[in-house]
Amino acid sequence: MAELNETIHQPVRLRIMAALVALEAGNEVDFSYLRDLLKVTDGNLGAHLRKLEEAGFIAVNKTFVDRKPRTYVAATPEGRQVFQEHVEALESILKSK
Amino acid sequence: MNISPNEAEEALDAIQKMTQKTRRSIASSGAHVSLIVTGVVWLIGFTCTQFLSGPIVAYIWIGISILGSALAGILNMRMSTRVRSPSAGATAKRIGLVWLLLAVYCLAAIAVAWPLDGKQLTTFIILFVMIGWMAMGLLLDFTPVWPGLIIIALVLVGYFLFPDYFYLWMGILGGGGMIALGLYIRYRW
Repeated sequence: MAELNETIHQPVRLRIMAALVALEAGNEVDFSYLRDLLKVTDGNLGAHLRKLEEAGFIAVNKTFVDRKPRTYVAATPEGRQVFQEHVEALESILKSK
Repeated sequence: MNISPNEAEEALDAIQKMTQKTRRSIASSGAHVSLIVTGVVWLIGFTCTQFLSGPIVAYIWIGISILGSALAGILNMRMSTRVRSPSAGATAKRIGLVWLLLAVYCLAAIAVAWPLDGKQLTTFIILFVMIGWMAMGLLLDFTPVWPGLIIIALVLVGYFLFPDYFYLWMGILGGGGMIALGLYIRYRW
């Protein structure tokens, strides 16, 4: 049976994972774009991304675009799997209502 | 970890909203730029076509089309760095090829139907461009389809019902409508 994941269940991290899993597998999103999408501050987003990265649910890729530093974020295959299980667990709780 | 059904419902609702918002944001990311820039080009170009005559009209169209294409290209390139995809290069080639084939088909259709007057030529070109735009939307989830349908409807209404004011119609309703749609997608969607 699918299980809830405590790291993902935190509201901001839940929305981060939802946004990243909505992308096609292999696609990565710019940090500032994700910040605007979620309407959170740089510091807040950075802290939550670190937690997700430590858990192995996302990959953070720091690179240069037109000689400017950019940070790209993507859900890892493990992150996608755990998120999917989290959603299934939420749905089963709702069905048992 | 245990949570109540109400909490589960709230979490699922948050996931659904975020997923929808992300998909819409990505799908419309370049659409509002193209709509606003094309709208400004149409507003200026068609209004000038309605009230001016002679070669100056052609020069205005060429000038604003080049400026508009360059501006839209630069803005779209800057926005394209927001999401990186390993398949982006192949997709860009396919999009380019589709537009090239459509341009050849449009030229062939115009050549077969020639001679055409200015209004017919304008209508033909807009219809072809909008068909291409909607095909991109349907096939690649690239842009929303409904603005294309609205513009096609406006072109046909202007062409058949208000032929004397066709260019003004296209400038104000077509161009102005594109600007309004672009602003709506940017700030409200």
